[in-house]
Parts: sequence; structure tokens; C-alpha cells
Amino acid sequence: MEKISRYIMIFIAVITLAIFIPKLYWTVFEKPIRKPIMHYSCISKQFMINRGEKEWTDAKGNQCSRDEYERMLPMMFTKQLLASGTLPDSINGTALDMRAVSREKSFFRLKVNEVDAPAPRLYPLFESRSGRAQLELPEDFFRITWRVDFIDAATNQILEEKSQMFSAALFHNGFSFPAKLISGLPTQRKSCDEGYLIVDSKEQLFHLKMIKGKPLVKKVDIPDGLNFRYIGCVDFKNKDFYAYLVSGKNEIYILTQDDYKLIKWPVDRYDPATCDLKIYGDLFNYTVIIEAEDHIKANALSPDYQLVDTFTESWKTKEQLQEGKIFASIFPAQLSMKSDNSKFVRFYFTPSKGTNWLLFNMLLLVLHFAWLYVRKAKLKNHWVDMGIVAVSGIYGVIAIHLFQNKFFD
Amino acid sequence: MWESVFYKEWLKIRWFIVGYTLLGILCIGYLFLTLKHNFAFTGGKNVWNTMLFQGHQFYSLFKYVPLAGGLVIAITQYLPETINKRLKLTFHLPLAENNGLLLMQAFGAGSLLIAFLIFGGLFTGFSLIYFPIEIVADAIITILPWLLAGFAAYFMAALVVLEPNRVFRFLYSLVGGCFLTIYFASAGTAAYGPANSGLFVLTVLLSIAVVFSAYRFRKGEM
Amino acid sequence: MNNVIECNNLTHYYGEKLVFENLNFQVKEGSILGLLGKNGTGKTTAFNILNGFLQSTGGNCLAFGEDTQRLSPATKARIGFLIEGHIQYSFMNIHQIEKFYSRFYPRWKSAAYWELISKLNVSPTQKISNMSCGQRSQVALGLILAQDPDLLILDDFSMGLDPGYRRLFIDYLREYAKAENKTIFTTSHIIQDMERLIDDVLIIDYNKVLVQSPVSEFMGSFRRFDFELNKDDTELKREPFIMNIEKVKNKVEMYTFSPESDVKKYLDDNKILVSNFAQVKMGLEDAFIGLTGKY
Repeated sequence: MEKISRYIMIFIAVITLAIFIPKLYWTVFEKPIRKPIMHYSCISKQFMINRGEKEWTDAKGNQCSRDEYERMLPMMFTKQLLASGTLPDSINGTALDMRAVSREKSFFRLKVNEVDAPAPRLYPLFESRSGRAQLELPEDFFRITWRVDFIDAATNQILEEKSQMFSAALFHNGFSFPAKLISGLPTQRKSCDEGYLIVDSKEQLFHLKMIKGKPLVKKVDIPDGLNFRYIGCVDFKNKDFYAYLVSGKNEIYILTQDDYKLIKWPVDRYDPATCDLKIYGDLFNYTVIIEAEDHIKANALSPDYQLVDTFTESWKTKEQLQEGKIFASIFPAQLSMKSDNSKFVRFYFTPSKGTNWLLFNMLLLVLHFAWLYVRKAKLKNHWVDMGIVAVSGIYGVIAIHLFQNKFFD
Repeated sequence: MWESVFYKEWLKIRWFIVGYTLLGILCIGYLFLTLKHNFAFTGGKNVWNTMLFQGHQFYSLFKYVPLAGGLVIAITQYLPETINKRLKLTFHLPLAENNGLLLMQAFGAGSLLIAFLIFGGLFTGFSLIYFPIEIVADAIITILPWLLAGFAAYFMAALVVLEPNRVFRFLYSLVGGCFLTIYFASAGTAAYGPANSGLFVLTVLLSIAVVFSAYRFRKGEM
Repeated sequence: MNNVIECNNLTHYYGEKLVFENLNFQVKEGSILGLLGKNGTGKTTAFNILNGFLQSTGGNCLAFGEDTQRLSPATKARIGFLIEGHIQYSFMNIHQIEKFYSRFYPRWKSAAYWELISKLNVSPTQKISNMSCGQRSQVALGLILAQDPDLLILDDFSMGLDPGYRRLFIDYLREYAKAENKTIFTTSHIIQDMERLIDDVLIIDYNKVLVQSPVSEFMGSFRRFDFELNKDDTELKREPFIMNIEKVKNKVEMYTFSPESDVKKYLDDNKILVSNFAQVKMGLEDAFIGLTGKY
């Protein structure tokens, strides 16, 4: 049993070392990777790129100054251009009405770690037409399991009448309980309340609102075979659409307000599990920026959602840079409890690419063997230790010396 | 014979485990008194809202309570055994090799388990008064790694206290301390869901760690 | 008669330092064997190996035929063990500790324990940690006697005790051992105590066994001769039969296993003129010091 106890401690030590040594390594050696920032210029009709703090170019790589860059992007730098007096009166024949500029400006962002994250299962359903200037947080929260339950927060009791009323409303619109996905803006900080978009267990899409205490349910027509893996509701001044949706096939859709039309945007496929998404909207364009670990893809759309331009750039990830290559030659893998791509805590195991680390492990094995030989140790007692070194490399070497192999039987 | 070992361990730790359990209960009581106060002053809907959407955890005070319990019980159980090498008395008892020691471990871990069950039961019971099952379940998922850390701390502290060599005692403390951070990664409510089963396995594995130190103690390691 | 304890070619190193090498000794059933040796000769090391708390570098020890590193529970029940300093669980009181140990030993004799403890002037709830050295030793002795072991291994039973308690120990132990044919293996830094208790003696010196025999036999054959030299600076040649010579000015003590005639012959052969030649009677302590020398 002593031997088993030792191997367990070695295992624990290897896990601990596999977390902390790489962490230490990256803290010392990691260099920041400058990812380019790009926006579509409604003036020069191409993408303008800002790399780092000193480099501004156009899509063809022509350098320009910061001032020129900002002048090419009046919708992004409206305030700055107004202040320096360089904002044009009109662009592309359209006079610049500040109110219109402000109304059309929108920004939506979806980070990878927001997609793979614990989701709340209770939501506040706001009164959409309270008649009050400010939205008020309701007294109850709802959940959708086998029916809709409204639970009063102060008493933790189910409000039967309201629950039955809303459950019936959903049921009569063809809702199939339980809900698979509930998406909305559960905050008072929005201009008005548009309720929630809900996906039921049969991948049907519903819109739920509360108007003067009564449920308003609208079933959205979806073409066969289409389902959604993520819905991001928005509160934009132009009130063009309710939400951005990401389909099961990683396509980006919008759902228009009032007539519930699902429109697919002609942009690159986007996987919310591995890429960050940013969508900038302004008077002249929508810009969809999809950022992966090693590349960025930008798509520019016209106001009627036609694709007008794209741009792609890639760079080396930290694993592909020198520090990363050295890392992959020394360490067989890295363990981490957290990940940039998720809010969940897991045992994130990242094996090193290539096989250089295996060579290094063999070197360590040879050294260990020599060390045993010098001490005239009985090799048959050390086979498992050598196996540990061969597999876990430097972590194993440290662990087997921390918990010494000194047995007397 | 196990009753005798349990009896001896009880004599050693009884005031500490009872005192600790009472302190833990007081802590939980305090959490709920504060919660009740918040319900009255800010309103139930605001309390729920901050918990659901702003990541507020009304129980965060409890975070290191299980860890403290594990350390306290391990020290009160095993430190007296190392003074003048009294552990020799346990090894001389007519029990199979490690049984004496494992019985001691079982008692310590069992006492912690009872304390944690009391804490968990009270917490769950009171929470269900104020919150629906969804919020309570998420809270339990969040608290579970803290409880597991209490056991892990107990097992690792036993290993450290019994280790005869000073240098290795220090090194094992270091390894143990770093390892325990795995249970406390900064994360939101219910984020530990996927990791909890792995943590459970690791914690159970650690339960016989002490056998290694005890063996070194027995073989006269300096 | 069986060997209750048997140590074969026992060798131990602490790092590079040799403690003893190829130590061989046996303890027969029913005998009371005392281990004597100067500090650092490995007495405590030998005890630790015997109790399974130290792994010897070489050789082995057997108790009741079992390797002491791996004693079965049944055998451990037959061995009573006194740690140097009468170490016991000090957080318990006299009731709790008896209750604790009694369940482990099938032959537990409560009466034997309480007979001894009743002589103690302690309150029923007094913790052992709050007792004096002597009181603690009495508790330790009581526990061992109650266990009724066949073999008692006592590491320095005199440690920290005043004469009264030491005498108590010896009386109880001897009576217990003789009445039931028990075996005792013990050591003490107070050799007069050992003399009262033991039948056989094992004297070790750095790296070797000097004597292993019944005490009577040793005392009968080891002799001390005192004489005064006529000339202070007379050289005394060391010969194999002389175990030790202590010389202060012209007064000489000579220790040997040989008879008086051999000594006289040696003096004559070397033309050493002496006066006041006499054989001096020794106690065990004198004999031990005579054999191993003062520091």
C-alpha cells in the first residue's frame, strides 16, 4: 500500500507541476501578440487596419498617419473628427445628420467564453408597456421547465395564475416544453423591453413578451432543418432587428422586428465555440469581425445586408512563436483549470504539438537511468518510475524525487 | 478494536471538532441573517437579480471554512503523534500494518464529513426557503469544491505532519498548497460543474497519502 | 528452549558512519537479558530495529520467529514495549488509557494495572501530561503488566526516575517475569538497577559484542587486580590477556579474564616490581567500566 500511496502522490505532484510550471514559464516568456484592429471605410471603400500603437494602413498595406486613418473612418471617430473640425458634411452623397448617425450606430460583441458558460435558468420578464419612463425590475422571475413558472422573489412562491396563463399561451402556440434556450436582455438598462426569444425542445423559435400583464407569444417561422445554437438579443436605436442568431451550421442571421423575418447574412461561417465575434453597425455599413486564435476575418455589409468587402489576416499564436516551440520541446503538455474560451472550470489538458518533448523525455530518462546506475540501485524497483519519466518528462522527474523511491522490502 | 482507535481519536479532537462545527453553524447562521436583512432592505427581486446576473454569492464567506476544518483536524490528530514519536505506540498495537493509521484517518475524515453534512444540510434547507431549486443547485455546485478542499487539506496536512524529514515537510507543504489552489480557481457561480467529479476522484485518491509518510516514519527516515 | 529474540549479522550505518557490524545475539525464553554499552554504541538503534522502527542496513532480527520489520498482529500482542522516557498518550487520563488499550489485548488483566495505579496519588481525571516522570512511568509499567506479554522490550526503564520508582519497577518486573516464565530484553543507564534485574548480560562496544553470558558467569570470570608500582614510570606492556589498565601515578587497576597466576607471571616476566597487590571484588558497573574503559 505504501507504493500505491507513493504513486498517488506522484500523480498529484505531476498534476500540480503541470499546472504551475507552464504558468510560470508563460508569465516569464510570453510576449503580447498584437492583433490587428480593422474597420471598413465608407469613404475609401476598403478596410483600414490599425496594428499596434504605431501602424495604420489600408487594405493594400499602404501606410498612413493616424489622422488619415481616423478621417477614413468618420463613423468610428465621429467625436474626434467633430472636435478637430474635419468631419465632412456629407458622405457618398448622403448628408450627415447627427441624429441619423447616432441612431444607426450599434455594437455587438460575443466572446467565446460567454458561449461556454453557466447559464442562469431564471429570468425577469419585464412589463413591456408599463407607461413608465424607466423599466422596472419585476417582482417575479420565470423559468421554463415542463411549464412556465413565475416565482415571486420575496416569498419564493409560485404565482399559479400567472404561471398557468403564460404556460397556456405558449402551449397554444405550439411550444414544446421544456425550453432549450432562453435569450433576452435581463437588465433595466435598455431603451425598452422586447421580451425573450425562446427555443423549445423541438428547435422551434418563439418570441415572448408581457404586455399589461398578459402574455404575447409569437411563433417565428423557421425553414426546415434550421436550428440555432446561440441567440444574442440586442437593443439598438434603429430597432431594425431583435437579435443576432447563430445557426447550427455556424451562419449568422438576424431576426427583424415586427415582421419576424429571418435573414441570413452573407458572411463567413463563424464558430462561437472558438471565435470571438464583433459586429459594428453604422449609417453606411455593418462590419462583422470574426477573430480566431490565429487569424481574423472581417466582412463588410451594405445597409441592405449585401457583402461589399472582406479582409483576412493571420498571425502566429504563442505556440508557433519561438517561446512556444521551446515550450513544446520541454513540456509534454500543459494543464489548466481555466481557459480563455470558457467560463467553466475543467481540467483543460493541452498536449504539446510535435514530438520534440518526447526526445527531451528520453534524454531525462537516460539521465535518470545513469543516476540510478551510479547509486547501484536495483533497476527492477524503478521500472514504473522510468515509465513515469518517459511519459510525463520533467514533471515526472521532479515528482519521483519529491516522493522518494526508498522501499526496503 | 476500531472502536478503541476511534475512542482515542475522539478524545484527542473532540473539543476541536465540536467547536469547529459550532463555528461553522454560526457562520451559516450569519450568512442567512445577512440574507434576510438584504431581502428586507433591498427587496427579494434585487437579491435574486444580483445573484442571477451579477454573480453575487451570498455564501462566499464560507469559502475557506472547510479548508480550515481540514487543517485543524489534521493538526490536532497528528501533531500529538509526532511529539516524542508517539506514533510508535500506534504501530505497536496488534493491528495489521497500516490499519491503525487508516482507522485514524477514517475517524478524522468521518468527523469532517459529519460536520460538512451538517453545514450542507443547514445551507440547503435555509436556501430553499429563499430560493428556487435552480439557484440552490448552482450554489451547491459552487460550494462543492470548497468542501472537497477541506478533505484534501486534511489528507495533505496528515502527510506533511507525519513526514519525519524537515526538508520534505516543507516541500510537501509547498506541493500541497499549490495543489489546493485547484479547488479555488476564481470562477463564477456553478462554473465548477464539469470539474467537480474529477476533483472528487483526486480527493478520494489523496485519502491514503498519509501511508507514505507513515512508512518513512516507521523505517526511521531522518 | 526457544530463542524468543534472535538477531543475525545485524549491521547498521547512519549514512557513512558505522554503528555496528555483524552483531549476533539471542535471547532465550524465560531469560532476562540486559544490554549494556556506552553511549553511541547502538543500544537505541538495536531497540529501534527490534521494534520495527528502523530498517537495518544488513542482517535481520526475529521475534518469536517473525521478522521484526513485519510482525503479525498476533505476535505484536505478545510483545510489551516501553519507549525510552515512558512515552505514552499524554492526553488521556488513567481511566481512558486503560480503556483504550484493554480492547486490543485478549489477555488484558485490569487488576494488575489498577493494583499499581492505586498506589499513585492522582485524581481520576488527571491527564498523563500533568503527571510527574515517576507517575508516568508507573502508568507505563501498569499498562505493560496488564497486557500480560510474553516478551517485554524495555528501552531504559530507569530514565528520569528517582530511586524509589526504580526499585518499584525492578521488583515488579522481576516478580512478573519469574512467576510466568516471561522474557525480558532491557537496557538502563543505571547499571546497579540492571544488576538487580537481569540474569544474562550482553555488553557491546563499538562494532562488536564483548560479552554475552549469564551475569554470574561474567562476574565469576572477569577480574580486577589492583597494585602499586614501585617506580611511577614503569611501562606496562599491553598483552592480549589484559582487557584494560587504569593507571593514576603509581596506582594501577588491571582488568582481565585470566587468573591471578597469569597476572603474576606477566609481572615477573616483565620484571615489574609492585606492592599492595590484591584482587578487588567488583559490582556489575565496575566490571562494565573496567571492560569498556572510562571515556
